[in-house]
Amino acid sequence: MSLYQLQKFIYHVNRDAAQRERYRQDPTAFVKNYELTEAEAKAALDVDVRTLYSMGVHSLLLRPFTLLHKISNEDYAKALKGLE
Amino acid sequence: MPIVFACAASHAPGMTAWTEAAPKQQADNFLENYHKLGFRLAESKPDVIVALTVEHWANFFLNSMPSFCIGRADHYDGPIEEWLRIPKARVPGDAELANEIIDACLQGGFDPTFSDELLLDHATFLPLHFLNANFAIPVVPVILNALTPPMPTAKRCFAFGQFLGRSLDQHSKRIAIIATGGLSHWPGEAKHGTINIPFDKTFLQNLTAGDHARLTRYTHEEISREAGSGGHEIRTWIALAGAVEGWKAELIAYEPVVPWATGCGLVTFHH
Repeated sequence: MSLYQLQKFIYHVNRDAAQRERYRQDPTAFVKNYELTEAEAKAALDVDVRTLYSMGVHSLLLRPFTLLHKISNEDYAKALKGLE
Repeated sequence: MPIVFACAASHAPGMTAWTEAAPKQQADNFLENYHKLGFRLAESKPDVIVALTVEHWANFFLNSMPSFCIGRADHYDGPIEEWLRIPKARVPGDAELANEIIDACLQGGFDPTFSDELLLDHATFLPLHFLNANFAIPVVPVILNALTPPMPTAKRCFAFGQFLGRSLDQHSKRIAIIATGGLSHWPGEAKHGTINIPFDKTFLQNLTAGDHARLTRYTHEEISREAGSGGHEIRTWIALAGAVEGWKAELIAYEPVVPWATGCGLVTFHH
């Protein structure tokens, strides 16, 4: 697990318009800037809400990140169902 | 010049990003009162707004997380969220006042960090959108860590607010002070959408009754359990209660808005 790196990746995409643009142009290349495990990189690239949440990504990093990917409130809630 | 205006307000991003998802009556009541607070702030003719605020990973990360940070930039850009439906803007700062506050803190037993470059997220930008028309009034952001533990205690936040209030009360400028955040909410968590109305009402009651002993007794565990990760932002309200100690808090609006996933409160304070 490298939760610190995973959260750092999301932090950069969320807060910095220039980095967000680079991420959008080539997500696969962008995530290589972070020391992620294979599972973390996959969850990040798939925007796999449930897995990212279960890995411990802070909810105020994860929800804004998923909003950038136009994941609705309903779909977000559905992805986390049962994890309460 | 004593502080000229004080209020506390929630900042749920849904207020602007998905306004229409809320029941119309709730949204109208809350947002109309938010605008009215803005008019009252303007009527007090402040030279500057000191914002007791929080942030959501807009600036600080786990490499360095200050408990208290004072912005001393000439301006602040925001919001960082392109989905917030608030146009990007540049908010003027007040580096001179910020430096005076930092110096006073260091002389007075508080050691905040300071920053010459802060981005603003919805925590600060959304309240300013309602309270500071066209972002005309300069702002000094005072960021409290209510984001990730360990966080400053309620008692320390109150004492920090008390100290700030005493310093600002003696300043030649006309200063408005606002607090933003809360009330109960579990943003982005599996419990997203939960609102603990009894917790919110009791907190507001403690605030309006001026029960500072109770306000400073809120523990991290109690807030986490009863008010969620977002509930920690009541630290800014508690700091404000310290800053205008002796003023009377008046509840303007409380709406538990489920589609905004937040117990939304507006409180103003009077001499």
